[in-house]
Amino acid sequence: MPDDNTVRNVLWLILLLPFVSGSLWLLAGRRANGPAGWAASGLTLVGLGFSVWVILLAGPETITLRTDWLALSGRSVPITFRVDTLTLLMLPLVHFIALLVQLFSISYLHDDRDRYRYFGFLGLFIGSMLGIVLAGNLLVMYVFWELVGLSSYLLIGFWYRKPEAAVAAKKAFIMNRIGDAGFLLGIFLLIFQSGTTELSELPALFLPEGPLATLTGFFLFCGCIGKSAQFPLSTWLPDAMEGPTPVSALIHAATMVAAGIFLLARIHFLLSPGALMIITGIGTITMLMAAYAALYQNDIKKVLAYSTVSQLGLMVVGMGTGNVPGALFHLTTHAFFKAGLFLASGVVIHGTNTQDMRLMGGLRKRMPVTFIGYAVCAAALAGVPLFSGFLSKEAVLTGAFDWAGRSGGPAFLIPVLALLSSGLTACYMARQTRMVFYGEYRNTAHPADHVHEGDFLLTGPVIVLAALSLGFTFSWNPFSAGHSWFANLFPLSGETGGHLWIALLSVAVVAGGVGLGWRMPEPAASTVWTRLSEQNWHLDEWYRRLIVRPFVRFARQCYRFDQLLIDRLVEWIGVGTVVLAHMVAWLDRTFVDGLVNGAAWLARRLGGLTRQVQNGRVQSYIVSAVVGLLLILWLLI
Amino acid sequence: MLSLLIFIPLIGSLGVVLLPASMKSRYKWITLICCSLELLLCGAAYSAFDPTQSGYQLLERADWITLPLGSLGVVSIDYLVGVDGISLPLVLLSGVVMLVGAVSSWKIDARQKAYHALYLLLTSTVIGCFVALDFFLFFLFFEFMLLPMYFLIGLWGGPRREYASIKFFLYTLAGSVLILLVMIGLYLSVMDPVETALRVGLIQDRSEATDEVIRQVQFLLSEYKIPSNLLVHTFDLRHMAKGGNYLPDSFLSVAGEVMLMGIPSRLLAFLCVFLGFAVKLPVVPLHTWLPDAHVEAPTPVSVVLAGVLLKIGGYGFLRIGWGLFPDGAAEYALLLAGLGVLSIVYGGFNALAQVDLKKMIAYSSVSHMGFVLLGIASLTSEGINGAVYQMASHGVLSAMLFLITGVIYDRTHDRRIDHYRGLAGAMPGYTALTAIAFFASLGLPGFSGFIGELFTLMGSFQSIWLPGWMTAVATLGIILAAAYFLWTLQRMFFGTLWFRPEAAGQLTDLDGRERLMLVPLAVLALLLGIFPNLLFDLTNSTVADWIQRFSIE
Repeated sequence: MPDDNTVRNVLWLILLLPFVSGSLWLLAGRRANGPAGWAASGLTLVGLGFSVWVILLAGPETITLRTDWLALSGRSVPITFRVDTLTLLMLPLVHFIALLVQLFSISYLHDDRDRYRYFGFLGLFIGSMLGIVLAGNLLVMYVFWELVGLSSYLLIGFWYRKPEAAVAAKKAFIMNRIGDAGFLLGIFLLIFQSGTTELSELPALFLPEGPLATLTGFFLFCGCIGKSAQFPLSTWLPDAMEGPTPVSALIHAATMVAAGIFLLARIHFLLSPGALMIITGIGTITMLMAAYAALYQNDIKKVLAYSTVSQLGLMVVGMGTGNVPGALFHLTTHAFFKAGLFLASGVVIHGTNTQDMRLMGGLRKRMPVTFIGYAVCAAALAGVPLFSGFLSKEAVLTGAFDWAGRSGGPAFLIPVLALLSSGLTACYMARQTRMVFYGEYRNTAHPADHVHEGDFLLTGPVIVLAALSLGFTFSWNPFSAGHSWFANLFPLSGETGGHLWIALLSVAVVAGGVGLGWRMPEPAASTVWTRLSEQNWHLDEWYRRLIVRPFVRFARQCYRFDQLLIDRLVEWIGVGTVVLAHMVAWLDRTFVDGLVNGAAWLARRLGGLTRQVQNGRVQSYIVSAVVGLLLILWLLI
Repeated sequence: MLSLLIFIPLIGSLGVVLLPASMKSRYKWITLICCSLELLLCGAAYSAFDPTQSGYQLLERADWITLPLGSLGVVSIDYLVGVDGISLPLVLLSGVVMLVGAVSSWKIDARQKAYHALYLLLTSTVIGCFVALDFFLFFLFFEFMLLPMYFLIGLWGGPRREYASIKFFLYTLAGSVLILLVMIGLYLSVMDPVETALRVGLIQDRSEATDEVIRQVQFLLSEYKIPSNLLVHTFDLRHMAKGGNYLPDSFLSVAGEVMLMGIPSRLLAFLCVFLGFAVKLPVVPLHTWLPDAHVEAPTPVSVVLAGVLLKIGGYGFLRIGWGLFPDGAAEYALLLAGLGVLSIVYGGFNALAQVDLKKMIAYSSVSHMGFVLLGIASLTSEGINGAVYQMASHGVLSAMLFLITGVIYDRTHDRRIDHYRGLAGAMPGYTALTAIAFFASLGLPGFSGFIGELFTLMGSFQSIWLPGWMTAVATLGIILAAAYFLWTLQRMFFGTLWFRPEAAGQLTDLDGRERLMLVPLAVLALLLGIFPNLLFDLTNSTVADWIQRFSIE
């Protein structure tokens, strides 16, 4: 049993190190431009060292460590760290890729004036991502979940002078927020039913059955929909490519977008069959739509972005079909080869000064090292045998086929569609490789002799990641996922690795895809189908029409309502009161005052009458006296 | 100590009035010194406060008015101040915000004497409101606050200042008439058990008033055994919060038999109090004074208005509405939470539609204060603690937001969002602090707003009084907040630098004074976001005790 306090301290160190490093650069300002890159990389290396130490300390056991955070009567939320195999996989993975990306960035951004900001934000990101990985309860995970959204926002909008970057950053954050709001509701539902979000306590308290559990599962999955860019919140990720390319490699390919998959792995035991069904469905839709969208993109990064969305969809399908180890395996291999692809594309962009693949071509000769790295990673992504992607894809596919076998009938649609999408993947990757590295160089604006290979800091990380994308890295038998070291960590389900026919089938599909992609003619004119791909199924257009514009219009109507009705009503009450006051004043003058005046007038008239009687003439007095006497006598008798 | 909090600014205000005009340059220093002293005293109160106790602490009491009225009993109005876990955070908040407002008033140069005298008067009444435990005293401060506010907006405000200040004044006044009615009703219905015991002759001295004696008096009262000329009526909120002190047949007796217009008079009284304070919070649809008042008010007054004055609405809900009429609060929980959700969503949509930065922030205040109402209405520990947290957090953040508006307005006299683009290039420091304030306000974890929103939402979801979909609708508010804040950030600060030619040369980055105001507020928001127990430790036991009365229902 490892000493809890030591582990706790080391975990705190791991978590705080990047935050401290990041805030240091941010506070130092431009002064930090010089040292930030190397120092930040150094600190990440230290973090990597610490995570290896944690692995040695923790061993195979699951450790849960609590630190008090806040306590109310009836509810306390501790900061809980959870260390299990999954944590131990993700900790070094995040550190390692972050380290390579930081090294790459030193060269990539060497003449940017705001490097301190870049490395500051990157520190913020790494810390937040590690927070998600370490979190032992969902509330703490939610905290870091949102912080990852923030750092993604800041890094996408790093070049804030570009209007597109600012818009993309905003879009990313808001779409993530929508998913997060759902996630939060899921957390509330969980608390409502079990009274806790502690991952260590939930298995005993939560029964994943029934409609309420499905609703809970769906809302929790919303977090994944946002972060992992699943349909219908998938459109922010391609736009996020406005950020610096190393950022795309780290955040929008290898780590942050994988957080959704990580979340599903963490909460898999909470998911009811109904929720899993929804998850599988959404994963399938995402996977296919994005794979098709990648087909006709001309921006080198956009192809990779759509491919990321599609691969995430595949992982979600893996989760949905109950194949957690397979999905995690794909997450791991994907992290390496996709980061490699993005970094390599960064070298290409750096060398050619453009992102448009139509202006590239023939770069194989001018950038040989990058080409090799790129080709290896692309082969891994496409699922070519002997490369890592083949193994992990096979693991996911096998799981899906097994699941379909258990579920029967129409469920087979899912693995078949997954196969189809892996064919599409092979196709667009072949097309991209051909457009970028083969044929003739096509850009007249940027002469061919200006195209140059990247320096060592740029190509080094690419080569490392390429090496990690080889099949041998994961398994001594490059045709069987079941023999990989990964399968020792996370036992792959059932007979996974046993179905030779799945491997053969997928090889055939990939071969077909590559062949198709290699020969795929570029459409002379855009058709409905190419536009559907280029515009990502016109999703953005539809969202603009159906959601954004109506929302803004509704907001304006709310404001008009506020002004014209509520405020006007208040004003009318005010005006009404003043009018009433005038009326009262008039009434007061005419009647109340009139009454008083009338009384005075009456008194005067009466006075006048009686005065006439008392006129001082003796005769009339005698007459009145006699008349009075007679009257009295008459009355008495 | 609490009396000092009330009287120091009052004395300062007098001092400003008495100083001759030749010492004009000293006025702002007096304000600054008074407000700094206030903050120090707040700190002292904080350290003297024992957060594990749930009752009122730091009590100070003086007989103020005692008037025997024969068969009508005895009028007793006390000068009674004290704090508990609900009011102390708000007192601390006032200390901070009033000081920031004082620094922000540095640039006021018209009619300095009147301005600073009124500002200090405002400080005194605001603090008075939060510490008064006698309803009459509270009402006095509550009403008196309107006077400096009216002039501060009406004299130093923007072009439509007269309209805005009158609207503000009348609106709040109309609300307080309702509160006044209830106050009189309560006064007629409640006795002071200690004083009554003295008069009846159960005890000889106040110090002998044990719980036993009080129970005895309350028993006598319920048996009609106390002659009416010996009953001591009281405005003491502590007595008003105890059902036993209500006269059995009185207008607001807890038995709730008296009907008025077809509903029990207690419920009606609760609604009156609610409406009175709802104007202040503000709750949609009683909010339209707020955008006008904010847009016209000078920056420091906006800061104080949003930072502190709105909180008096929420505080009034807790102390008087919910505190004295738990039956009404439970009866109308659904309606009140519904209004809270309406405020959140409606305020959010309105904020999204604004072209004026200050108005956008004003509407965002409406939205954020909706969380306070939602949390209070949930009648859960999470909800009410969260509501107090949200008030403190919004106090800090809205102060920051209005200062930020002030920064750009001071430079160009133009607050239209679409008149600026890419300000980040010209004013990086300003942009950084704006981004912090915006993200903190939209409820980013790590900042105080997140804790407030999280716990109010969690409370409303756990509440047995409220359906779950209400919370779901309310979460739309946090999405809207992201939309309007980030949209503004994108439009004003990002992209290539562009502004109207008139603004050329004026877009300088923050100066030292502005940093001095904004940076501590940002740090405070961060601290409260990372260490929520700083505040929850204060509120927790009071709220835990307070919530009991709802579980009895």
